[in-house]
Amino acid sequence: MSLSFQLIQNGDSALDICFQGTPGEALSKVIIALQRLLQQEMALGCWPGLQELIPAYQCLTIVYDPVQITGGGPTFGELHAQLQAFIAKTLASSSFPEALLRTQPSALIEIPVCYAEPFAIDMDVVCAHTGLARNEVIARHHKPEYLVHMLGFSPGFLYLGGLDPSISCPRKEKPALRVDAGSVGIGGAQTGIYPQATPGGWQIIGRTPLPLFDPQQEYPFVARPLDRIRFVPISVQEFESMTRNAAVAMHAGSEEI
Amino acid sequence: MLRILKPGLQTSLQDGGRMGWMQYGIARGGAADPVAMRLANSLLRNPAGHPCLEVTLTGPELEFTADLSIAICGARFALTHNGCSVDNNCVIQIRKGDVLQFGPLQSGARAYLAFAAEPQLAAVFDSFSTYLQAGFGGVRGRSLRAGDQIPLQNCRREKSRQLADGYQLKYTGRPQLRVIDGAEAGLFARDQRELFYRTAYRVSPQSNRMGIRLQGDTLNTEGLPQMTSSGLCPGTVQIPPDGQPIISFVEGQTIGGYPRLAHVISADQHLLAQLKPRDKLDFQRVDLETAVRILCDKTALLARLDTQS
Repeated sequence: MSLSFQLIQNGDSALDICFQGTPGEALSKVIIALQRLLQQEMALGCWPGLQELIPAYQCLTIVYDPVQITGGGPTFGELHAQLQAFIAKTLASSSFPEALLRTQPSALIEIPVCYAEPFAIDMDVVCAHTGLARNEVIARHHKPEYLVHMLGFSPGFLYLGGLDPSISCPRKEKPALRVDAGSVGIGGAQTGIYPQATPGGWQIIGRTPLPLFDPQQEYPFVARPLDRIRFVPISVQEFESMTRNAAVAMHAGSEEI
Repeated sequence: MLRILKPGLQTSLQDGGRMGWMQYGIARGGAADPVAMRLANSLLRNPAGHPCLEVTLTGPELEFTADLSIAICGARFALTHNGCSVDNNCVIQIRKGDVLQFGPLQSGARAYLAFAAEPQLAAVFDSFSTYLQAGFGGVRGRSLRAGDQIPLQNCRREKSRQLADGYQLKYTGRPQLRVIDGAEAGLFARDQRELFYRTAYRVSPQSNRMGIRLQGDTLNTEGLPQMTSSGLCPGTVQIPPDGQPIISFVEGQTIGGYPRLAHVISADQHLLAQLKPRDKLDFQRVDLETAVRILCDKTALLARLDTQS
C-alpha cells in the first residue's frame, strides 16, 4: 500500500502520525490496523516509553513519556527514525491492513434517537444553515449507515463518518458549557452522540436514551472503531419508556456491587 | 474511616490516574497537581500515586474514626486540627475522633490530603481517581458530600517530620507557564502569535479539571483551515473561534478539533492546578529540548525525595 505520512510533534509528550489522504473508511482501516499492530508490540515491550495510542480521522497520536524516551531509552531522533521505518515497512506489507482487521470483525449497531422538540435544541440553527425543513434534516440524518472512525473526546463518544454533506453545519462559535448526556449533534461535517453531560460545540438535533458508557461492563462502550451505526428514530413516548428501562437496568447493576 | 462533615466546594478522591484508555475517550485524570500529591505521599512513605483527597478552593471538614498519620501539601488553607492550627508540608498525627477543618484559602487552589492508610473502595479501570465529568471512580463517581464515609484499612502511624525546604512550593497567583509550539502554531498569523505571548491572560471562573479557560485579548482565527479532529493531550492550548484560549487539563477531551497554538510543557502542568478564577498568567516560549530537560530535572528532583525518606 503506498500512502505517504508525516510525524508531527504534538506537545512535548506526543507525536501524530499524519497520513496524506481524505478521511474515510480506507484511511481509518490503515490507522486502526496500525494501532492494533503497535498495541501488540507495546504489550510485548518492544516500544519502551510509549504509553497511549489515539486513533483519529487522519492521524494516529502516540503519547509517550519524554523522560523514559530520553533517559536510557531511545532519543527523540531515534524514536522518530524507528517509527518512520516501522510504519513504512508495515504499509509495504501486502496483507496490510486486512490481516490485522480480521481478528475483530465489524458489527452493525442500532441506536435509537428521538429527534423531537424537547431534545433537538439547535434544530432551528441546522434548518436555517442548510435551508432544509426539520423533517428533511431528520430523514437525511437517520438514513445512512455511519462508520465508527474512532472513540474519543469524552468516555465512549463515537466519531462517525458518513454524514450527508447537505446537513453539515458549523460548530458553535463558543462551546456550550453543558450539553446533556445522549445528545446527538452535528459539528461541521461530523455527527455524534455525547455520552455524558459535558461542554461541547456541536449543534444538537436529538437525543438517545441508550447509555453510551457503562464502566461496569467488561467492554464499557457501545461500539468499536470500524463498526457501523444506524440511528433509529423514536417518539418521545418511546424515549421515556426506554430511559426508564435503562435506569432500572443500571440501578440493578449498581446494587450488585 | 474518614467521615465528611462538610464537603467543601469540590473534594474528590484522586490518585495517579488511568493509563491506556485515551483511545476510548477516557483521559488519564488523577490528581490535577501530581507534584503536590507526591510530596504529601512522600511524607507518609506512600507510593507517589497513592490515593489522596484533592481539595479545591473551599476545603472540607473531616472526622477520622481511627488513629493514623496524614499530610497535606499543595494549596495553603488555614488548617485546624481539633481547633488548633496546623501546617501544610508535615506529618499530622490523628487520633480516633479528631476533626480536621480547612479554613480560608491562603494561596494556590488545590491541596492534597494524603493518609497513611488504604481506601477500601473498588478501583475502576485500575484507579481510585474520581472522573468527575463522566461520573465514575472514587466515591460514587462524584465529589464528596456531607455524610459520605471513606472506609480506610491498614491505618499506620508515621514518624513526625517536615518536608525539606527546597520542596515547599509557593504559589504566587501569577505563574509564568512555559510553552512550546502547538501542532498548528505555524498556521497562525505572526502578529496573532505575538499577541498570545504578550497577553497577561486571566483565568475564567468556568475553568475546571477538564480545561482552563482564559480571558484576554481575542486572537483572530480567521483564515485558519477547518481542522479534522485529532489526538489532544493535557497542556495543549487550543484556540476556538471566539479567540479565547482553552488549556486542556487532566480530565480533558482526548480528541480535539480546534487549532493548537501552544502546549504548556509537561514540567509546568502541575501549576495549572493551582490557578484560581481571576488569577493571571503569562506564557513564555521555550523549545522542545528545553521542555524535556526541565521535565527530566524536575523528575530527578522528585526522585531524590524518595531516597531521602
